[in-house]
Amino acid sequence: MALFSVLQTTFLLASLSLRTYQTEVWSEPLPWAPESLKVSINSTRQCLHLQWSVHNLAYHQELKMVFQIEISRIKTSNVIWVEDYSTTVKWNQVLHWSWESKLPLECAKHFLRMRSAVDDAKTPEQRFWSNWSSWEEVDVQNSLGHEPLFVFPKDKLVEEGSNVTICYVSRSQQNNISCYLEGVRMQGEQLGPNVSMFNLNHVAFIRETGTNIYCKVDQGDVIKGVVLFVSKVLEEPKDFSCETQDLTTLNCTWDPGRDTGLLKQLSQSYTLFESFSGKKILCKHKSWCSWQVAPESQETYNFTLTAENNLRKRSVYLLFNLTHRVHPKAPFNVLFKNVSATNATMTWKVHTIGNYYTLLCQVDLYGEGKVTQHNISVRVDGEHLFGGLEPDTQYMAQVRCANANRFWKWSEWTCQNFTTAEAAPSEAPDVWRNVKSAQGDCVVTLFWKPLLKLQANGKILFYNIVIENLDRSSISKLLSIPAPANGTEVILDQCLYQIHVTANNSVGTSPASVIIVSGDPGNTEVEEERVKGTEDGFSLSWKPQPRNVTGYIVDWCDHPRDPLCDLQWKNLGPNTTSTVVSSGAFRPGVRYNFRIYGISTERVPYLLEKKTGYSQELAPSDNPQVVMSNLTSHSFTLSWKDYSTESQPSFIQGYHVYLKSKAGQCHSGWEKAVLSDDAVCCKYKIDNPKQKTFVVENLQPESFYEFLVTPYTSVGEGPHGAFTKVTTPDEYSPILIRIILPMVFCILLITIICYLKSQWMKEKCYPDIPDPYKSSVLSLIKSKENPRLTIMNIKDCVPDSIEVLNKQEGTRKSLTETESTKPTYLYLLPTETSYSGPEPCICFENFTYNQAASDSASCGHVPVPPKAPPSQLGLLTSPENLLKSLEKNYMNSLGEIPAGETSLNYVSQLASPMSGDKSSLPTNPPEPALCSEYKMQMAIPLGLASAPSSGSSSFSSITLLDEGEHYH
Amino acid sequence: MQAQLLRRTLPSLVLGLLFLSTPAMGICLDKYQELFGQLQKQTDIMQCTSLLLDPYIKSQGLDKDGLKEHCRERPGAFPSKDALQRLSKREFLRTLHTMLGSILHRLTALQRDVPKAQDLETLNRAKQNIRGFRNNIHCMARLLPDSSETTEPTPAVPATSPSPTPTSDTFQRRLEGCRFLHGYHRFMHSVGQVFQEWGESPSRRRRHSPHGGLRKGVRRLQLSRRNKRLPPRGQLPR
Repeated sequence: MALFSVLQTTFLLASLSLRTYQTEVWSEPLPWAPESLKVSINSTRQCLHLQWSVHNLAYHQELKMVFQIEISRIKTSNVIWVEDYSTTVKWNQVLHWSWESKLPLECAKHFLRMRSAVDDAKTPEQRFWSNWSSWEEVDVQNSLGHEPLFVFPKDKLVEEGSNVTICYVSRSQQNNISCYLEGVRMQGEQLGPNVSMFNLNHVAFIRETGTNIYCKVDQGDVIKGVVLFVSKVLEEPKDFSCETQDLTTLNCTWDPGRDTGLLKQLSQSYTLFESFSGKKILCKHKSWCSWQVAPESQETYNFTLTAENNLRKRSVYLLFNLTHRVHPKAPFNVLFKNVSATNATMTWKVHTIGNYYTLLCQVDLYGEGKVTQHNISVRVDGEHLFGGLEPDTQYMAQVRCANANRFWKWSEWTCQNFTTAEAAPSEAPDVWRNVKSAQGDCVVTLFWKPLLKLQANGKILFYNIVIENLDRSSISKLLSIPAPANGTEVILDQCLYQIHVTANNSVGTSPASVIIVSGDPGNTEVEEERVKGTEDGFSLSWKPQPRNVTGYIVDWCDHPRDPLCDLQWKNLGPNTTSTVVSSGAFRPGVRYNFRIYGISTERVPYLLEKKTGYSQELAPSDNPQVVMSNLTSHSFTLSWKDYSTESQPSFIQGYHVYLKSKAGQCHSGWEKAVLSDDAVCCKYKIDNPKQKTFVVENLQPESFYEFLVTPYTSVGEGPHGAFTKVTTPDEYSPILIRIILPMVFCILLITIICYLKSQWMKEKCYPDIPDPYKSSVLSLIKSKENPRLTIMNIKDCVPDSIEVLNKQEGTRKSLTETESTKPTYLYLLPTETSYSGPEPCICFENFTYNQAASDSASCGHVPVPPKAPPSQLGLLTSPENLLKSLEKNYMNSLGEIPAGETSLNYVSQLASPMSGDKSSLPTNPPEPALCSEYKMQMAIPLGLASAPSSGSSSFSSITLLDEGEHYH
Repeated sequence: MQAQLLRRTLPSLVLGLLFLSTPAMGICLDKYQELFGQLQKQTDIMQCTSLLLDPYIKSQGLDKDGLKEHCRERPGAFPSKDALQRLSKREFLRTLHTMLGSILHRLTALQRDVPKAQDLETLNRAKQNIRGFRNNIHCMARLLPDSSETTEPTPAVPATSPSPTPTSDTFQRRLEGCRFLHGYHRFMHSVGQVFQEWGESPSRRRRHSPHGGLRKGVRRLQLSRRNKRLPPRGQLPR
């Protein structure tokens, strides 16, 4: 039992001893625990910087250790970060560790502690953590100062898309503070009584000068803020390449990529590091850098290009052999010598690269649309001969060189132009002619085409034309036409001529073009054929000629409507029987005429065929001007002979005659047609385009018609413009006209004849005065009264003159007072020669000039009084009796005849009153009075109307009234 | 953009033309009236905010509500109009010359915060114009009568520099730059008003110049009514 107790005690002691030992081992501080901890902050980068050291390391001892670091915020229990930092620790080394805080360090207290452990294979038994160091407190707020408000972090630089935390510290808890991002208020999170933080996610680049974030005390003038510099992500340099032009300097280039958008002082920098030499240079430019090559020392280079800014670092690498990156400089001093019409020698110089380098140079020659290329090896000077050049041609030569041993890049081109010399024209001009006859002469218009540049070999100065008379070969004529003329006109007689045309430049003369012009213009009647053109031109073909021809020529006018029709021609070989004539001048609706000539072996052209056609036919745009004639009641004739079918925009195939009528029925040969305006009319088709007259028949008399004549072609007819209106006459009018017109003519003829033979007619039809002896009155007088009384024979009484006595009364009197009025008398007085003395003169009262009667007619003219009946004439031999008798009858007649009944059998009283002076009677013809009008008409027996006195009559006219003829 | 560039460039061109007639420092124009007219025109142009302040506000992002209100002249940074009016001519010119020297330094400091080459060029042109204006002030002072004004005490204008204590806070520097430019334009506006008063009333000049008026050559200066200028565009509120 005692032994058991002893053993138990011993075990317990041993156990205690071991336990004690173990306790001592565990509780003993690690000999390499971190010591001398120092914490500092970098406000710009918002970093906590920790430095410490590990003591007890032997001299030159190195030990791999792990340091565990704990960071708390606001209070120690609020651990926000734990990190194991492994490193190899050396003797007497100060260790550093940094931690970047997302929350600005100024806005909250931070606490930091650490412990260590050995992590070295050499001391595996030491893998125990040391004790934690004491908490190191980081409180920046205390050192901020006394301003009322602070905003953090200051001038922080972040990449676009990053998350940033902003905070403010206010000195007064009562302040109500608002914070803004570029003017937009932010919603924050309270960290403490006077601290708030704002999380900004995925910040964007706004401007180069940064983003303004600021906080303001609501009721105050305090404003504080920060500028957040947001950078675009730095890109890796692209296309990094180095090369040399002279083996002394390397020029390295790269594409920096997009700009980070930062201020210059914050933007990235570029460094170039060469690993073999260990040289490093800071590049001054963003996209290139120069590296000085050490002479003859290094062939291989390994470059590292690093782009770096405060946020990021990007590197690219390049390994190369210097001799493989030779990029020669452009050749220089390019010259041409011995330049002739077909050859030229080009020389140039190159920049030397080292002593033993050969360059491969490439020479390109551009000219006449062609490029030729040559490669030449060059050491110092290059030379190349260009052959087979065209005369008078400008060429452009360019040269570039590269390293012949190891090609890397061609140099830049060096260009130079040169022009070859002129040579004599190599080809004869292409000549054609147009022959016209004029006044017995042959007018030949020569045309030639300008030589092509390759044919001219220089500037053509003039054309020589030699005209040789083949009949009399000794006679020739030389014309020199200066360029750039392309034709001339010569007048020849009807002889046979040979014409030579040559082109001349400053060097020489071209071969001659020979053409034969015969006196016969050769315009033989050849049937003209129609051809159909297309957009590509006219396809022409002709029959092969049995006789020998040396070729064919097709000519035409590009502008046939112009006086200068712009003659064109085309030369074709002897075996050709078809061609396509195309021209940019061809226009739709224009007729083109083509003549095909065969050229005989004697070089005489003769016309083979004529073709005509349109490149595109168009519908006629105009209708013919139609003339209508021969209008009858049943027909009329239409004519449009002036209409030219040649100048129409298509071949005229015929004409359509449209006829509108009210009847609407169409006769045979006509067909009904509906016009565009839905009007129905009759249409007649004329198939012959040469027929330009048409008779419209079977019309109705006195009917209204409308007609229109329009041409029709294969592409349509002319416009349906205005119809011409016509009305047919009635059926009988022509007959009547045929009758009436001759009748009128006859009557007119008779009238003229009657007028011309009036005297004869009068004598035949109207004897002047009836013979009084044949009157019954005479017998009555003779039997009952004084036998001495006799009727005066007018033939016995030769009156020489008529005297009219008219006494004017003082006052006008009425008809009832005519008794006291002296009448006017007509005295028949013998002429002086025939007057026989005391024979009684016969006088008549001229009632025509009776004033009273005149008054009764309410006009101042003398009325003709009623004539005394023939029964009373016998009493009138005595003036008194006659007067009385006349007065009585006159009064009776006035009293008995109503005024209104004096309207029968009038005699014109237009004559004006006459003077009573007898001498004045023959000399003063009646003149129209103021009131020249028809006066009261005196009734005159129709049978006794006085005949007009003729010029041959020697009597005065006397009007006598027949008995029984009274007024009604 | 072109209009803005034109707006910025045109005044500088005009100023340059004005300075063409002003010889370099040391060679002065001896025609008082002509020189005075030039000073007035230069002042008109230099008080225009479109020359410096507006481009600065835009490039620094200060054209936002809540920020613009704080872009105001810091009190006491520049002499007030009243203070300038109280000065005699000689004092006034001396003060102006001094202030313009300080402004030149401040503008140089401001250039560090201007990233764009275009804005940098604008500031450079403005500095050249100020140098020319200073030359004219110097010449103007030489044309003033050599009176007892030269012995006057230092004028009672703020002795503070227009630039506050330099700060590493970019945001604060930005605001201070804006306030400085605002004050600069306001100051030039006040200078222009003083110049205008010089030309308007000799009696007023005498009142403000207790040590005697100008000599007859100076008294001849009468700015006609038709030459009275309207406040320029972009003028700051008083």
